[in-house]
Amino acid sequence: MARLEVSDAQKWFRREDGRSMKVLDRASFELREGSVTALIGPSGCGKTTLLNAIVGLERLDGGDLVFRNDDGQQQSRPLIGYVFQGPRLLPWKRVGDNIRLALQGANVPREEWETRVHKYLDLAGLSEFVDQYPLYLSGGQRQRVGLARALAIESGLVLMDEPFASVDELTARQLRETSRALCEQLHRTVLFVTHNLSEAAYMSDYVVVLSGRPARVQEYVENSLPTPRRWGPEVHQFAAELEGKLSSTQEAIA
Amino acid sequence: MSVTSGTQSTGEVQAEESAHDQDAPLARVSYTRSIAARVLPPALAVFSIVAIWWVLHQIFSDLLPSPADTAAAAVNLLSDGTFFFHMFQSLRRVFVGFAIAMAFSVAVGIYMGTVQAGERFFQPLVVLGLTIPGLMWSLIAVMLFGINEVAPYFAVAATIFPMLVINIWAGVKAMDKELIDMSSVFRFSPSQKIRQVITPQLVPNIFAATRYGLGLAWKVVVVVEMFGTGDGVGFQVMRSYQIFDMQAVIAWTLTFVLAMILIEYGLINLIERRMTAWRPKVDVWRR
Repeated sequence: MARLEVSDAQKWFRREDGRSMKVLDRASFELREGSVTALIGPSGCGKTTLLNAIVGLERLDGGDLVFRNDDGQQQSRPLIGYVFQGPRLLPWKRVGDNIRLALQGANVPREEWETRVHKYLDLAGLSEFVDQYPLYLSGGQRQRVGLARALAIESGLVLMDEPFASVDELTARQLRETSRALCEQLHRTVLFVTHNLSEAAYMSDYVVVLSGRPARVQEYVENSLPTPRRWGPEVHQFAAELEGKLSSTQEAIA
Repeated sequence: MSVTSGTQSTGEVQAEESAHDQDAPLARVSYTRSIAARVLPPALAVFSIVAIWWVLHQIFSDLLPSPADTAAAAVNLLSDGTFFFHMFQSLRRVFVGFAIAMAFSVAVGIYMGTVQAGERFFQPLVVLGLTIPGLMWSLIAVMLFGINEVAPYFAVAATIFPMLVINIWAGVKAMDKELIDMSSVFRFSPSQKIRQVITPQLVPNIFAATRYGLGLAWKVVVVVEMFGTGDGVGFQVMRSYQIFDMQAVIAWTLTFVLAMILIEYGLINLIERRMTAWRPKVDVWRR
């Protein structure tokens, strides 16, 4: 069952000179329930725009977004967990309060807040930092708080926009492992944007390959690597395959 | 000055603190040094003003009283029972007028910074307001409301409102859009957005506006009190002026300045430090 169907998504932007620029050109794909889907494509092709449209920060100029609930019924845009490229925490709020504010926004009953804050900070390995201000944490730790916040609202749908691009490779690898394990364990439907093809190969169940701007879906690839995922030659081999598909997309543009 | 980089973990910070605890003599030296670094520059600033004043007194001794005589007169004022009454009246007018202006400024500043129609409506009014001198507002207020407490409140609020709005509006325009987007994604209510996302980003602007606004409010209050009230520091300064008592004029001014300095260092600095405790200290000129 699909948790989200993106059909014929179209988006134009108005440039400063007044002319319009097409960013998304009838992009269609679906996110299957409980799966992790990677969205890859050349820089500036409209991946973040698509994520922003799904989460409601941008409006599509054409096409449809069909959201479905746990029973497969069509519903209006649900609450969506979002892991941004940076942690986007409120620096004047302690780690725990950052998560509590998201829980309040999600109308989670107040009596559940403490359980959820501790559960998801525990899962992210940060339970001891609940009373710290974010600026006293390392970049990787802050990104994990962002991940804990996105998961804590317990939405069935989670979006991630290059979530580990701003941290060093070792931390990123730990974060990928944590995220993949958490999403599997919590059975979340995830769409994530990445430029890192090994990350796409390691984390995804499906990969959507977008063409250059205006973005169309060039390929929808199923990742048949066994789960739980392990880093190894198979992941790198699949990443190489994805690189080939991405290169052919760029050659087609050229 | 202690330095904590943004990427340091709490564990590291704590480890650093405990290392300092064990190294007590070094800690004492750096503590003394930090006190000296904090106290010396403002003390030097005050000393230079007194020195210039003393030199001017040597030149114009008939006109300008000496710093020592004026200080003695100020101390005499303090021992007079009516001093605190007049001081309290003036401070109340400053703070009530300021509070009214600040409440409107935060609301209008946020509206101007977030709604384009609001910006277009208020911008010409704010620019217009900036050009109207406090003295005009004082005259208008006394003519409108007569000799009562509404006049100074109105004059102070009307004079400092445009300046406060400009500060808050600039702060709203410079806000981090990414945090606003985050709050929309996580469905913060409008009140949550204002209290938890927008207002904390305006703290530096609010404090800058507070410092400038209080100074300006005091100037307006003195003017209103000179001709529109029967008490307050301005009223006393006017009385001293009428008998050409320069020493009393300066002594009253001096006591009020001291009260404002106490408010700045005892209250505003303290609140500011508490409200920005989340920010690690950074030494920009460290080598």
